[in-house]
Amino acid sequence: MAEKKILEVEGLETSYDMIKALKGVSLSALSGKLTCILGPNGAGKSTLLFTLAGILNSDRGKVIFDGEDITNQKTSDLVEKGLALVPENRLIFPHLTVKENLLAGAYSRLAKEREKVEQDISAMYARFPVLKERSSQLGGTMSGGEQQMLSVARALMSKPKLLLMDEPSVGLAPMIVNEIFAIIKQLNAEGISIVLVEQNASKALEIGDYFYLLDQGKQIFGGSREAILKENIIKKAYLGESAG
Amino acid sequence: MEYIQISIDGILYGSSYSLIALGFSLVFGVMRRINLAYGSSLLLGVAIALWVENKLNISIIFFIPIVLFFCSLSNLYVERFCFAPHNTKAGVVVSMISSFAIWMQLDEISAQLLPDRTHSFPSLEISTFEFGGIFFRGDQILNIFVAFIISAILFLVVYKTRYGIVLRAVSNSADTAKLMGCNTNLVNSLTFIVAGVLGGIAAFLVLSTESQVTPLFGFWCTVKGLVAMMIGGLGSLTGAFWGGLLLGLLEAHFSYQFGPVFREITTFSILLIVLIIRPGGLMGVNIYKDLKSRDERI
Repeated sequence: MAEKKILEVEGLETSYDMIKALKGVSLSALSGKLTCILGPNGAGKSTLLFTLAGILNSDRGKVIFDGEDITNQKTSDLVEKGLALVPENRLIFPHLTVKENLLAGAYSRLAKEREKVEQDISAMYARFPVLKERSSQLGGTMSGGEQQMLSVARALMSKPKLLLMDEPSVGLAPMIVNEIFAIIKQLNAEGISIVLVEQNASKALEIGDYFYLLDQGKQIFGGSREAILKENIIKKAYLGESAG
Repeated sequence: MEYIQISIDGILYGSSYSLIALGFSLVFGVMRRINLAYGSSLLLGVAIALWVENKLNISIIFFIPIVLFFCSLSNLYVERFCFAPHNTKAGVVVSMISSFAIWMQLDEISAQLLPDRTHSFPSLEISTFEFGGIFFRGDQILNIFVAFIISAILFLVVYKTRYGIVLRAVSNSADTAKLMGCNTNLVNSLTFIVAGVLGGIAAFLVLSTESQVTPLFGFWCTVKGLVAMMIGGLGSLTGAFWGGLLLGLLEAHFSYQFGPVFREITTFSILLIVLIIRPGGLMGVNIYKDLKSRDERI
């Protein structure tokens, strides 16, 4: 049985003014799978996610989401179509309470299905009990791990088909990182397709299904976990020679 | 008794500062931009409304919505031309300078519409009354009453409704709000329209109390509103409200003690002192801390 592709990227090129950050990236993500994009600093991982989420416009290339060409569409349209980004550094709204953060995450649905949104907030509280405890606390006063959970929960509030996650482990203590990765794995097991960008390659290798390696704006590897473990390429390009 | 009378006069007068400061504060809160053309937009709104009134000879009941409409419209005009094109980080200074440029343009149009130095303005004609030996101006009582109601409504909308959540999300971080699918452009435009309505109410109340309008009204609005907002607290709605009342109170006392010349001197001295001691305003967030936290954006 051929597996359904939720996301297909073909020859994507994005630049910041004069500097080309993506130089023709092609990859695809299967529905219900966890696709990891690895690579060192400056490889273009975040640029790729920003382009997919409609924050940056690409110069060339095509993005197909759920069978539809979404190249350079507006973020608000993409959110409605079921694409959500959990940004790097979490970027929760610091002066909004936890509950208000979740409501803001459900922005695209607030007008039409207010009651459904309230139910979903209860579901988020059940999934992340710490958010329930702090529901009336300002987002900015929470710890990094709690903010990361809030950021994930906020993205889930828009009922995405595909969740893009940008370095969820950044700046967190190892124990919290384990917790966050357990959550990501759990979400994926529940059927949400995930594209995960991560610097912490060893953690990503534990949970990912498919892997792509970016370096200097180009995709230099793509394949399953077995394939990436067999190839020495990841150690050379990403972990550094000494890591072997 | 004298002191009580002056205090009451000052606070009543200050309530119009509060309304204008609320408009400033709303725009600053959402966009982190200062709109120097705010007063001029209000003057232009008033000027167009007066021009329409002269042509059509309408009653005051219809005149009020016309003032509000044209004030919001000219405020929206400023937003579209000065703020919408510069909504990036780098655009803070550019948008402020262009709001200064458009200030001149708006004042010039107003001057063409109202060529005389002073124009009569429809008055509500509410009589002054006495209570326990203290005199209250009826129109100023209405003024403070409206200021209270509007502030309360604004507060409820911003802190209790879903529109308020969106507004505050954009204020926290426009880029992140965009990620949630929020149309920040629309939010900004709506904010300017609401600020225009607020300012229009303030302009109508002030001008009908004075029963005249001069070409300097725009400048007066900008200065008093800005100072009241700075005193109360940048981006704080409650701060803007109390800042306006405090400014009115202090101005009244100082000009009574040292003569009317001291009214303006008081205004700017207070601003200077507040800026030195507490740059974020008396009730505002610490502006430096706030700006630092805002650097953590995409």
